[in-house]
Amino acid sequence: MSNFSVGFRSNTAIEVLDLNGELDAHTASELEAAIQKCKNEATYRIVVNGANLQYISSAGLGVFMAYIEELRAKGGDIKIAALQPKVYNVFDLLGFPMLFDIVDTEAEAIAKFNHT
Amino acid sequence: MPVPFLAKAVDSTRWSKLDSRAGRTALLIVAAGSVVLGFVYHVMAMRAGAPPSAFLSVLYNLMVMAGYGAIGLLLAFRFQRRNSSPARVFWTILFFGLIFIAIASYITSVGREVDEALLDLYEAEGEFDYYTGVPRVFVTVIKINVLSLLGAVFAFYVLIRIGSLVLFKRTKLSQRNWQLMLALFGLTAVTAFMKSPQSDPDIYQLVALIPAIGFMVVNSFRASWIVYMTFQEKLISIGLSMLLLLCLMIGLGITSIANPLPFLSDLRVYMLYYNYVLYLFVMLVLGFGVMYTTASLLLLLFHLPTTGDFQRRTHERVVMQSLTNLVSQAFDPEKLYTTVASSPVEAGTADTGWLAIADPKTGSLQPDIVASANITPNRVTRLMDIAALYGELSASRSSLYLEQASTDHRLNVRPGDGFSSLLAVPLVAREEMLGALFVTKEVAHGFEKDDIESIHMFAAQAALALDNARLFKEQIEKERLARELDIAREVQRKLLPQSAPRFRGLSVSASNVSAEQVGGDYYDFLQLDEHRLCLVMGDVSGKGASAAFYMAVMQGIFQSVGRLAPRPIDFLRHANAALAHSLDKNVFISLIYGILDIQREEFVFARAGHNPLATINLHGEAKYIRPDGIGLGLDRSGLFERSLQEVTLPLQPGDAFVLYTDGLVESRNLQGEEYGYDRMLEAMRRHRDEEASGLHDALIADLRQFVGPKPYDDDMTLMVLKWHGIDVPTAGHATSHHRTTTPQASLLDTKP
Repeated sequence: MSNFSVGFRSNTAIEVLDLNGELDAHTASELEAAIQKCKNEATYRIVVNGANLQYISSAGLGVFMAYIEELRAKGGDIKIAALQPKVYNVFDLLGFPMLFDIVDTEAEAIAKFNHT
Repeated sequence: MPVPFLAKAVDSTRWSKLDSRAGRTALLIVAAGSVVLGFVYHVMAMRAGAPPSAFLSVLYNLMVMAGYGAIGLLLAFRFQRRNSSPARVFWTILFFGLIFIAIASYITSVGREVDEALLDLYEAEGEFDYYTGVPRVFVTVIKINVLSLLGAVFAFYVLIRIGSLVLFKRTKLSQRNWQLMLALFGLTAVTAFMKSPQSDPDIYQLVALIPAIGFMVVNSFRASWIVYMTFQEKLISIGLSMLLLLCLMIGLGITSIANPLPFLSDLRVYMLYYNYVLYLFVMLVLGFGVMYTTASLLLLLFHLPTTGDFQRRTHERVVMQSLTNLVSQAFDPEKLYTTVASSPVEAGTADTGWLAIADPKTGSLQPDIVASANITPNRVTRLMDIAALYGELSASRSSLYLEQASTDHRLNVRPGDGFSSLLAVPLVAREEMLGALFVTKEVAHGFEKDDIESIHMFAAQAALALDNARLFKEQIEKERLARELDIAREVQRKLLPQSAPRFRGLSVSASNVSAEQVGGDYYDFLQLDEHRLCLVMGDVSGKGASAAFYMAVMQGIFQSVGRLAPRPIDFLRHANAALAHSLDKNVFISLIYGILDIQREEFVFARAGHNPLATINLHGEAKYIRPDGIGLGLDRSGLFERSLQEVTLPLQPGDAFVLYTDGLVESRNLQGEEYGYDRMLEAMRRHRDEEASGLHDALIADLRQFVGPKPYDDDMTLMVLKWHGIDVPTAGHATSHHRTTTPQASLLDTKP
């Protein structure tokens, strides 16, 4: 039923989450669990790769909001990379680019972490 | 348990015609006539000193057969409806048997010297002519008539009463066997037709006798009544049947050549010289009586030790059958638990029992003992690791039988603890383990194969009942939730505007559809004064109840802050601050807010993360206007306010503004394709000449046509405003009405 999945890739101190499929009210909990897992493993630097993310709903965006404050307080961040234009538009409508680093490539996102 | 009814001795349906008043009278006449004529026949023979002619003899034989047949039938009708216990049957036969022996014995001795009677059994023949068998004296004639009648009546009585036992719980086969035996009795008796009493039995008689004896044996073992007797009833019946056996043997003895007791004179010759056929029939019946009584006695003796077991089994069956009632206890889970735990104990299959259920909500395998019989839950947990046993059952889904509980490491049971064998059965319904039934016995190896089977059967029933109870509870919960949601939906519907605002030269139409009972979309109007109208459209992130709650909060903010700080940027700033306290971190609201001023002929609006405003003018120039601004609740610092942009649009007659939520543009058809922004703009162009409600309906129709027959999967709201210009003649005649396009949808519009 669920057509959403999260893949994990560890890149030194940075966890890369590969999002696949559609992130909506039903699948938001999976991303929540993934970020929670990173947090439990004390990995606060997260890159979300949205190259395979087909759709995101407001509930999906809410997941980022739920954790960002805490991760930033611990010196980490969520950086979002490689979003498809349609998905980016949803982020953009809500003004997420003002709140998050949303970049074109994963490498760019990782680089942003390494610069700070 | 009382011994139940006994079946009728005679098939009453077949003989019902004879069993009428007239029929019985006729039988009575035949019987009485035959007895009287028989007497006359023998008197005539005595007077003549020689047997009557062969013709008369044949007539006599036929008459005797008919007469005694009639007597038999009369007796059968007399006793056929008498239902009584086997013990009573034995007792009454015994009683009449003793009377028969006493009377017969007395009558045979009449007219003879006592010492003469004691000599030997052939002595009696002195009363008859040696060659012809004709009685010599009148008293002998009376004797042969009375004794034959007596013997025949007793034989019929024995046959009828034993018949009721043989036919108890009859089957088609047993009934046929019984009727065949009676027929063979008759046939065997008829072989003696017109035969001399003094002649030796011929080959036909012997051949006829063999099947008769065969069926006597078969019928002797028809004793279904035994299993329904209690121990005490069996003891009484054993005593009675022993006495009866003795009595019938004497009865048979005195009517046959083997008189067992020298002080009893035999009546063989009297009956034999009365009629050979009748005599043979009486002999067969008494022989069968002896055989049946013997068989009953033996069967009773054999069944005596197993009476307890049978009673127990019957009781178990009764208890287990009561399980069908388990289903009706679905309304009261506590009661159901108790019944499940205590039934095996009440049935006597187990000494203690308890029901363990793991709470499915916690997902743990730590079971609770929800009911127990003959043992306290505390004691159970003290004596064993119930979680480990439950875990094993849950994993294997099959029962666990510990024949010697004390040897199992999970149990801390010592011999004095009251149980040595334990049987645990998982209660599985629809492939889900709902609980486990544990039963124990005091002794090791306490559960036999059939015990385990019956517990298994019980467990299956119990699992069904538990499943029903759970479904029932869930259903109740579901209905309660549905009712609550209905209320919530009604409340939410009232939070949305009940009528469209009326402004001269302006038409408004709006509608809202929720994917679920309640939704997070919001739109509203606020008439500030004669010429200014505030309007808002928002979308709370997420769906359902939580979104609906924040939508209500938003409504409160709009209705209060809108009045105090109507300027778009001011309003949004205040709203964001007000929401900061109540919104969850992961919840935000996208909003578009504007003021339409018909005096200044302008529309000023700002956007906080919401979908862009769509506009179209009279000439079909359509576009989205998307000022900057982030969603409400996403930022609590100054960033939010800094991000906002206010846009002022001058109003031209024919201008239309379309506000909507993402549910509309993101609606997908069956191919997964989104409706999208371009299609909406295109539809606006096509229908730009319509006033607000026409344009609104056209947009919805276009969307429905694209999406196809598919339910809404997101909340969807659409608002259309159209400026017709201040000097439209119809202005001021605005009407508003509510339309419902789907059960969840609300729609309103005004015409210019």
